[in-house]
Amino acid sequence: MKIVAIIPAYNEAARVGTAVRDALRFVDAAVVVDDCSVDNTGDAARAAGAVVLRHAINRGQGAALQTATEYALSALRADVLVHFDADGQMSGSDIPSMIAPIVSGEADVVLGSRFLGKTSNMPFVRWFANRLAVLFTFAVSGIRLTDAHNGFRALSRNAASRMTITIDRMAHASQIPDLIKVNGLRCVERPVAITYSAETLAKSPSSLRAFGIVKDFLKDKFFTRV
Amino acid sequence: MTFQIILTLFALFAIVRTTRQYQRRKVSLHWLLLWNGLWAVVIATALYPKTADAIAGAVGVGRGADLALYMAVVTLAYLVFRLFVRQEETEHSVTKLVREIAIRDVENSTKK
Repeated sequence: MKIVAIIPAYNEAARVGTAVRDALRFVDAAVVVDDCSVDNTGDAARAAGAVVLRHAINRGQGAALQTATEYALSALRADVLVHFDADGQMSGSDIPSMIAPIVSGEADVVLGSRFLGKTSNMPFVRWFANRLAVLFTFAVSGIRLTDAHNGFRALSRNAASRMTITIDRMAHASQIPDLIKVNGLRCVERPVAITYSAETLAKSPSSLRAFGIVKDFLKDKFFTRV
Repeated sequence: MTFQIILTLFALFAIVRTTRQYQRRKVSLHWLLLWNGLWAVVIATALYPKTADAIAGAVGVGRGADLALYMAVVTLAYLVFRLFVRQEETEHSVTKLVREIAIRDVENSTKK
């Protein structure tokens, strides 16, 4: 069974190498999509042993995930895909428990959760915004999760080929539960540890950006010609 | 009176321009008829405001000028919506293109 980590990266030259090496201890290959970074993200990832695809124009995290997914499915013939972050907030040692339900055939999609036991040093504002996001996801997709917008996910080949992410930017994290529901896929949550550092918090978007996410999600759902 | 003259002149200008563009094959016949038709209505309304009032009265709006304004708002809202959808489609096309280039490039470099 071929396990492939897919890692979207934007200006992560300082951290992507560590993340790739960490992931590669538990997967067969790592695909990094360098989303038009202005630093040496691509070189750093390649040096750490990842296959690097480069977006010629910055298209956002959702777009990068979809690019990596298509490559992992077609060129690498991946059986299981793991969404992993480039900034070192996730730990590779959670990968085996994330893919276990897929390997055993219990689920098609496994979503990581920061609220199922493992402790994360999540700032309060983050926590509050996350509660609202959980409600939003339940309201629009009808999926009850303990954690919304957790980037740690594992997908079976079948699930990954049926779920096409069309939201290029951050709102893809709301689209994924929606795609799970629409395609009738079996989904479970597993605890993961996320370590917040001052560096990554400074880089990640503020909780206010949530309004942008809601807007993008609704736009995709209602205003796109199908 | 001044406003009527300015509006009529502007409408005539628009009609002349569109007709020229049609002759140079820059716009379709469909667009020519639609656009010139619209400006013809503007001229008619400017020169004979009473007609517009009569139409407005028939559909239940007080004044002709109000009717024109309402219709303009609805038309603009519709055009904005269409632009919005078109813009989304363009974004999706760009992403698709960027994705295909990224995948093709890495496949070429691994073959070498």
